[in-house]
Amino acid sequence: MAYLTQPNYVKYACSCGLLKPITKMYFCRHCLKLRCGYCVCHEVDSHYCSNCLENLPSAEARLKKYRCANCYDCPHCFHTLSIRATSVTRNSEDGSKTASKLYYLACFFCRWTSRDVGIPDQASATGRWPERENENSETIASLIEYFKVLALKERIDKEKIFHTPRRNFSHFSKLGMTAALVRKRSGLPSLPLGRDADLTSLPTIVPSVASETVEPLPAEMFTTAPDLTKVTTLSQRFSQPDIQPELTSEMWPIHKHLFIKRSQRCRECEHNVYKPEYNPISIRFKIQLAAFYHIPEITLLSIGELKAGVPSEIVVRLCNPTQHLTSVDFRPLPSAMEEDLLWERQVQLCEERERKDSQRTSLTPGSLNTSLGSSLTLPASLTRQLTLYEPPRRVRLDVSSSVQLPSCGIVLPPRDDAAEYDDSAEKHNFQDDPEVVVWRKSNKAAVKFSITPDKTLASNEEVKCGFVLGYGYVNTMAALEGHKEPQRVELQVKVLLSLGTVVSDE
Amino acid sequence: MELQDIFYNKQEYVETASGNKVSRQTVLCGSQNIVLNGKVIVQSDAIIRGDLANVRTGRNCIISRNAVIRPPFKKFSKGVAYFPLHMGDNVYVGENSVVNAAAVGSYVFIGNNVVIGRRCILKDCSMIEDNTILPPETVVPPFTKYSGSPGLCVGELPECTQDIMIEFTRSYYQHFVPLPQPDKHGAK
Amino acid sequence: MNKLKIASSAVVCVESKLKGTVSVGSMTVIHPKASVIAEAGPIIIGENNIIEEQVVIMHRLKDGEEWDESRVLKIGSNNVFEVGCVVNASAIGDHNVIEAKSYVGEGIEITNGCIIGAGCQLTVPEKLQDNSVFSGSSCSLSIAPDRPPAQTLQLEFLSKVLPNYHHLKKVKKPEQVN
Repeated sequence: MAYLTQPNYVKYACSCGLLKPITKMYFCRHCLKLRCGYCVCHEVDSHYCSNCLENLPSAEARLKKYRCANCYDCPHCFHTLSIRATSVTRNSEDGSKTASKLYYLACFFCRWTSRDVGIPDQASATGRWPERENENSETIASLIEYFKVLALKERIDKEKIFHTPRRNFSHFSKLGMTAALVRKRSGLPSLPLGRDADLTSLPTIVPSVASETVEPLPAEMFTTAPDLTKVTTLSQRFSQPDIQPELTSEMWPIHKHLFIKRSQRCRECEHNVYKPEYNPISIRFKIQLAAFYHIPEITLLSIGELKAGVPSEIVVRLCNPTQHLTSVDFRPLPSAMEEDLLWERQVQLCEERERKDSQRTSLTPGSLNTSLGSSLTLPASLTRQLTLYEPPRRVRLDVSSSVQLPSCGIVLPPRDDAAEYDDSAEKHNFQDDPEVVVWRKSNKAAVKFSITPDKTLASNEEVKCGFVLGYGYVNTMAALEGHKEPQRVELQVKVLLSLGTVVSDE
Repeated sequence: MELQDIFYNKQEYVETASGNKVSRQTVLCGSQNIVLNGKVIVQSDAIIRGDLANVRTGRNCIISRNAVIRPPFKKFSKGVAYFPLHMGDNVYVGENSVVNAAAVGSYVFIGNNVVIGRRCILKDCSMIEDNTILPPETVVPPFTKYSGSPGLCVGELPECTQDIMIEFTRSYYQHFVPLPQPDKHGAK
Repeated sequence: MNKLKIASSAVVCVESKLKGTVSVGSMTVIHPKASVIAEAGPIIIGENNIIEEQVVIMHRLKDGEEWDESRVLKIGSNNVFEVGCVVNASAIGDHNVIEAKSYVGEGIEITNGCIIGAGCQLTVPEKLQDNSVFSGSSCSLSIAPDRPPAQTLQLEFLSKVLPNYHHLKKVKKPEQVN
């Protein structure tokens, strides 16, 4: 809950240099590095409607413009509309009265109904509500068609120029034929893009005519007071950008936007770091490599009074979330010189990586688009999307206090889910310095150390302290691949604690 | 920050065999229809209307002061009936909130002063921020954060929300300790 | 002086708080933990009303004033006061719905068919139009075409179910029959 409602007191430095709380970070088991939301590739897994919780496959979602077909939002307050029924008795042809149900859309929050706009009540509850045709849709469709054909024509023209200098590639026959000509020769039907179509004739479009005359403002604008209950607000207007109604009597219900389920992938090793289940209601996942489950979690327990120049004690709780024993130790932050060296090394690594990548992709000319790959057999690596690398950032740890870190390491036992029910606590005989380790319980330990806020701090300035947490991580993934037993790796992560403001001493 | 110990007056709370801690100053109407599944804390002045329909909560739930847990009603063609209200495990209901929902999933965080409208459905791992008004029949999907009036989706929750809520409710229960009784006061 | 007049078909739970001279009409349901406080004058509640828990209906005393028998807060019929609302209005008509956690300040006269949305706070004294609807955090006003439907079905259900679980406040017939 602290992570949900309170500000982030404890931040870890990600491998890209940003500071994030542990709940927003992932741990890539292959690279053995921390990743945050920026150094991870977000991919859309599935689309679903937040009201009917119905899953839509991506292709269908794209066709429906990423909106739900059945659910509507109230144009007045943006809450979901519900279907209500009224029963109406009608006189049918043979004179008898029949009771039939008519349905209309209503918002339970602002009491807007579809009748306010003039939409007639429908006879079936799940039926389609009338859609409003946009007067510009035909013009836009014909424009899109025209530009598609034009773009195709230009692309083919460009390829013809490219093909002639290339005679050594085995993809094309020695006579310099394109795939389209080969297909024509062998009698295969032409490609669906209509390459062989008669491209000289572009569809005709009527260019729009500019006119000098502008309609003058109606005179009533200056004399009558506007009725504010009938005029739409800006947010109501912009929620329907294709119509932008000015009067509330023109506000039609809006189809609900779809929500997405995302999966995350490490940018360097391309392995998935988080993959949820397909079902929108389910909270389970196929792969879950959040940092919360792999690296020791640090929480602040108590802070002594903070005064500039006066040492005070803070108690911090360490929690080991893994199933293996870890030993944790505190090290001071690297000095400025060491930081510079580390930074240069990082930049070098990044440049090397970029060079390697550009070599791989330099085989294909930049203008050959990937759609050609489907008709010719290009190797898969050439058609892969270029991954974006985040340039490394320097970690901005503006530390405003000095820390006296405990010199000894602390052993944390593994997480034991059954310990919750077992009241008889087993005693681990750890040789703990009682000054350092204040409290222990199963896989948690509370550690005390003292910090001294800088003397130069004025009152009400933030006190921040930082250190490097070294911990042992047991890589179970290697064991799964049939190697030897899991190996233990020593990792370290920079931690920044925000401790609040300096109390003015009066 | 870690939770501090929350003290309560030992006489004020009844502790049941399954670990439920219920204050005596609550109004539990129809208590035979209320099922608290274990380690549930119901703080003072809360109101649970079991007389309208069955109310069932999961384990480790926390119902704060002045909260009202009320089953919703639904109109049928043949009349009106109150629907049973099911809450999942590890749910936190903040102070002064009114929960009129049809179903509340597990690992849900409901803030203070929230009004959850009739027949709402809150799925697992969702969060309703303080002072939200959720209009009737809203569906809150998992891992979303709703806020405002009317409640609209304003953000997403981290993937480890389930464990965060489990830790929070568990540590709240562990820190909910009776005041240490000094020897001067007589037992009354 | 607490003079309570409760009609025979009204359901008033004993955990509710009725302070002062309050008269409750027939078929009205008052849930437990509701409070009706008549400080400045008597309150007359009409028929078929639903007053849910944590509702505070208060006839407030202004500074320097005293109890006045003639200053009556009249609440009409078919009103619904949802959980937690606080009403200090000077008059309430019929068929209104005052939703959860809303606040109606002093000097406001609620007419008929009004809907005061959840969480809305009305503080400026005025007489509301018939069928007005207040909703949202900014209490935006719109006029509904018709009044909200009556809750007779719910009233019937509640008057059957609540007596099974609660002790009810009943006023014994006084001996002033003669």
